Order: sequence, then C-alpha cells, then structure tokens
Amino acid sequence: MIIQPRRDDHLVIGKYTGKVIVGVGLLMAVPLALSLVLGEWSVALDFVISSAACFICGFGLQLLCRTERDLGWGHALVVAAGSWLIATLLGALPHSLSGHEGSYLDAVFDVMSGYTTTGLYLIQDLDHVSNGLNMWRHLLTYAGGQGIIVVALTFLFRGSPGAYRLYVGEGKDERLLPNVVQTARAIWIVSLGYLAVGGLVLAAMGWALGQTPLRAFLHGVWVFMGAWSTGGFAPQSYNTMWFHSLAYELVTVAIFVAGSFNFALHWAVWSGNRKELRRNLETVSFAVTLSLTVLVATVALSRLGIYPDAVNLFRKAFYQLASGHTTTGFSTIYSRAFVVQWGPLAMLATTVAMAIGASACSTAGGIKGMRVGVITAGFVADIRRMISPESALIRQRVHHLRDILVDSPLLRSALTVTVAYLTLYGLVAIVGAACGYDFLQAAFEGVSAASNTGLSCGVTAPAMPVVLKVVYTLAMWLGRLEFMSVLALAGYAYAMVRGR
Amino acid sequence: MMRRRVLRVLRCALLAATLAGLVWPAPVLAATGATLASLGSPSSGDLVEHPAQWDGKVIDFQGEAVGEVMRRGDSAWLHLNDDAYSRKAADDIALAGYNAGQAVWAPSELAAQVKICGDYSHRGDLVHVVGIFHAACPEHGGDMDIHAVKLEVVLPGSPIARAVSGVRAAAAAALSLVAAGLWLLWRRRHRARGRAA
Repeated sequence: MIIQPRRDDHLVIGKYTGKVIVGVGLLMAVPLALSLVLGEWSVALDFVISSAACFICGFGLQLLCRTERDLGWGHALVVAAGSWLIATLLGALPHSLSGHEGSYLDAVFDVMSGYTTTGLYLIQDLDHVSNGLNMWRHLLTYAGGQGIIVVALTFLFRGSPGAYRLYVGEGKDERLLPNVVQTARAIWIVSLGYLAVGGLVLAAMGWALGQTPLRAFLHGVWVFMGAWSTGGFAPQSYNTMWFHSLAYELVTVAIFVAGSFNFALHWAVWSGNRKELRRNLETVSFAVTLSLTVLVATVALSRLGIYPDAVNLFRKAFYQLASGHTTTGFSTIYSRAFVVQWGPLAMLATTVAMAIGASACSTAGGIKGMRVGVITAGFVADIRRMISPESALIRQRVHHLRDILVDSPLLRSALTVTVAYLTLYGLVAIVGAACGYDFLQAAFEGVSAASNTGLSCGVTAPAMPVVLKVVYTLAMWLGRLEFMSVLALAGYAYAMVRGR
Repeated sequence: MMRRRVLRVLRCALLAATLAGLVWPAPVLAATGATLASLGSPSSGDLVEHPAQWDGKVIDFQGEAVGEVMRRGDSAWLHLNDDAYSRKAADDIALAGYNAGQAVWAPSELAAQVKICGDYSHRGDLVHVVGIFHAACPEHGGDMDIHAVKLEVVLPGSPIARAVSGVRAAAAAALSLVAAGLWLLWRRRHRARGRAA
C-alpha cells in the first residue's frame, strides 16, 4: 500500500525548499551588483524582479510551512530534487527577461544546463549578451557545481541530521568534517580559494593576450567558473577558441581537471596528504580511461589527416577529450567539426569519455571514475577467483582515501547506478534519433546532456524539437542528481495522488 | 664543356622555379605582396560545413567585429560574425538564432581600422576581409581561421539603445516591497521562536 504524505510531510518539505530558494535569491545579488556597477540598468531591473520573486517564494514557503520537525531521508531527497526544479524555474527569469531566449522553455533549459554544470545552451546572440547576464550564467554553473543545497547549507542552515540528508540528496556523500555545515563551508573555502588564484591567473593571461583589463578580468573569472565547475559555459559563442592560445588552453585544462576531482581528494591534498593524488582510485581510473580515449581519437584523426602535424593533432584531440571526460564541455573547435572533420570513430571516443565522466562528489557528471574503478576491480577479482584454487580467499581492495574492500554491496551499488546511466543515455539517444537526427549525433548529444558535459555536435539549437529540449532538460537533472532524488520526488507526487 | 654544364644547371633551376611557382601555396604569394584573386565569398556556415573545399583558398569574408581586437605583436586576432545580427540595424534586437562567424588573423595595422566591436552596448564595425582560409591552421594550433591580407571597415559600428522599461521598474518596485514585507514577517517569527527556545 502506498501511504499518502501527511500535512506534516508537506510542511517540512516546503520549509526547507523555501530556505534553498532564498539562497538562489541571494546569489542574484552578485549579477545585480555587477549590472549596477557597469550601468546596465535594464539588466539590473531584471535581477531585482527575479531575486524578489525568489524571496517571495522562499520566505512565503517558510512562513506557510511552519514546523519544528527535522528532515527524514525521504523528505531530504524530495527537497533536493524539488528545490533544483523550483530554483531552475525561478532562475530562468533573468534569462527570459533579457530577451535572448526564444521561449521560457529555452530559458529553463539554459538554467538547468547551468545548475547541472552541463554547458549546452539555447541562448541566442550570446556575443551581445550583457555582463550581468553573463555573470549570472557563470555563477549558476559555479554554484551548481558545488551544489545549490551546499550554497544554502553554508549560509542558511544549522547542522542537523536533516541537513546531512539534504546534502546526500544532492548526490554527495563525502563528509570532510564532522558537521555537514562545516563540510559545506569547507567546499566553499576550497572553491573560493581556487577562484581567487585561478581567476586572477586567467585574467592576467587574457590581458597579456590582448584583452582590455576589464574584459580580461571578467572573462578570467567566468572562464574559471566554467572550468572549475566543469560547466563549460563561456562568455563568447566561440567558447575557449576565442583566446587562440596554447597557454590559456593548458591553464583551463589544469583547472577543469582539478574541478573534476573529488572534494574529499582536494581536502586530503590541502591537509597535506599529497600521496593520495596518485594512489586514489578515481585519479588512476581517470588517467587510464582518458589515455585510452585520447589514443583512439588521435589514431582516428591521424588517419583522416585533418590536422597539419602531430603536435596540433594531439593538442586538439587532448583538449576536446579532456574536456569531454571531465564533463566540462569547453571546446576549441566548432560544434559541427565533430561531425564534419572528426568522423565517427573520434566522435565515439569522445562519447565514451563523456559517458564515463569524472569523480564522484565533485562538480562533474557521468557514471564516474569511482564506479568504473570498482566494477573493474570486481571483474579482476572474479578472474583471479577463476584461476585460483577453490580454497583460495580472494579479496580485492581499492584505495579511495583509505583501502576499501570490493564486496557485493559495493559492487551492486556501482552497477545499479551505472546501469541507470546507460539506460538514460540509451533512452535520450533514441529520442534524438526519433526526432530525425543521425543516431551517432543523437547519441553524442544525448550522452553529453545526460552526463552533464555540454560538448555539442550541432543537435542542440533553438530550433530543435520541443520534445528534445524537454528530454535533455530532464536528462541533465536526472544525471546531476544521480536519479535517486528525482525518483523520490516522482514517488512523492505519485503518493500524493494515489496514496491512502 | 663547362658552359654546357652551367646551361644545364640554369635550365634545371628554371624548370624547378616554374614547378615551384605552380605548386607554391597562396600564403606565400600573399606575403610577397602579389595580387590575390578571391575564389569566392563563402559564409561561416559554408566554411564550417565544407572546410576541405575551401582549405588554403583565398576568400572574401564579411562580418561584424565582436568582443575585442586582441593584438599579438605585429598581428591581431579579431572575430567576425556573419550571422543575421551582423546585417541588422543597431536598434533591431530581435532574435535570429545563434551567432556564427570566423576568427581572422590580420596584421596589426590593418586590424587597427576596427574601432568598435560588438557587445551588449554596441553593434560592431562591419568588416570585409580578403584572406586565406585554413581549415586547420598549422601556425595556430589547428584552429580554423582566415589570414587576412586585406581589410576594410564597410560600415562603422554604433551604440545599441537599451531603454529602461517603466513597466519593469514598477514591477521591480512592487515585488521588492512584497519581498521585504515577507522577510520582515519571517524575521520577526524567527526571532520569537528563538526567544521561546
């Protein structure tokens, strides 16, 4: 029997959703301030309207839903998925008011893409977008990368078991410090520390490459946000090709690779445990799968003879593949070049890299190196068992901060989520193909959306079918929250209607 | 005997020079200042969709300069968008799809003609270039680009008027008041609960 949620359940969910929405409204203060400083008055008004809408919704919910009850696991999952949905609907207001979106659905697509650090976009005439809106686009991906729940936990929550459940509901489970609020603050300290250094380095490079000081600074901050959050948004339609600089490419690679690492790994390194960097299962798994996919793409491209020499070939292959594997989505080639120049094999290698993704508990999406590593370790253990005497006790361990025994529950958990991702990739690709796109292109774009990567081969466009826009938006949401929260929200809605 | 050898060497040199002239790539012709005959005026879409067809050829390209001119020593990068927006009047901000364009590498003295680049506040200069298209430029890390040898500003850029809407200002004021009221109410209840606890 399905139990219908009670009034008290609605109240606790409403209260905590309200807190997260207030956090979104507070975030809008940053683009609002920039618009005012740069005299973009019309844009500033858009942010006043949007942030006021968030505060009305957020404080309104908290006033309506007064309860002292703490969040249970089910509530936390519903709040995590529900707040992402409402934050997306309200966060789309500045996009829609800017006049750069073809419809509100397009604006929602872009904001979901931002929060989920995907990087696909439907915004039109990007090269004439205001600085305020560009700040919002990049801030979305920066905040979304850490998690909008983490934003709210940092400023608006007191530590409680419910707060930890909410944190887990957003697809994270690493507790760096005993208290989850302290953990959320630690994530922000690490991220802001990197922002200060990385943003300034990119700004200095932009200036040296011929940008004006203000544009170099803003582009430095935005490109850092896009790279660190593995978001892939860039302020110009040319993406990172804009800079035409090997040095700039190398720095962005360093930032997005760092961003794709587990927060717990960053914390371990910050705490002095540098050995963890080369011992960790996720970094090892990432190094192996990145090398293999780059090798395949390089061989494919060298056979096609597109690039004039080996150095340029490797530079292009490595950048797109590293960007795809870390689910960043930065690109130094035109979207259509994947189809027109790269061909099926290199596209397939890129698709596989995007599908795997990077580390768990990071800003990245995809299946994750941890699961690939655990499944591989389980496979190796099975082979060892097959070739060993029956009496032999085979124990396979992996290292992630400590040695972990690869047992059945761990394997089952890794396989369940992996199968869920593969199913999602398949379904989204089928919908793309059903909409009339070539299957390989539909698979490339579908995997890109569902793994929160953002590389495009040209399928994503303002004129694409509405059904595909909706499916990609849902895929980004499901992929980012790793299914459980969204399924819990769907279950909650079903129980409201059908429960007793 | 000696004279015959010299003549043979001269004949070989002449033949080699003729052959070299036939296969000499266009960029070198451009560098020597010889006249370039454009082989067409492809759009950025044509260049991206059929790069091999235009690779190494001299083309005409026209578009709105966007962002900024990035000077790098004697040369500079500029980005020319030949999308629907580049053909619009400054006050026409209706949507017309994604931006589309090409990166252009031009001598600094030519690039200096570009005064206004397109951004939120400006429609950029409409720039016409003649240059060699590279599907994967060996000099620039395999980027797709045009090396311009001729550049002129066809139409100067202009500011884009961005009027503040009175309706939006009123909506912003009204919503802010409601939000402030709710915040005050929330804060009062929050404090009362804190005192009770």
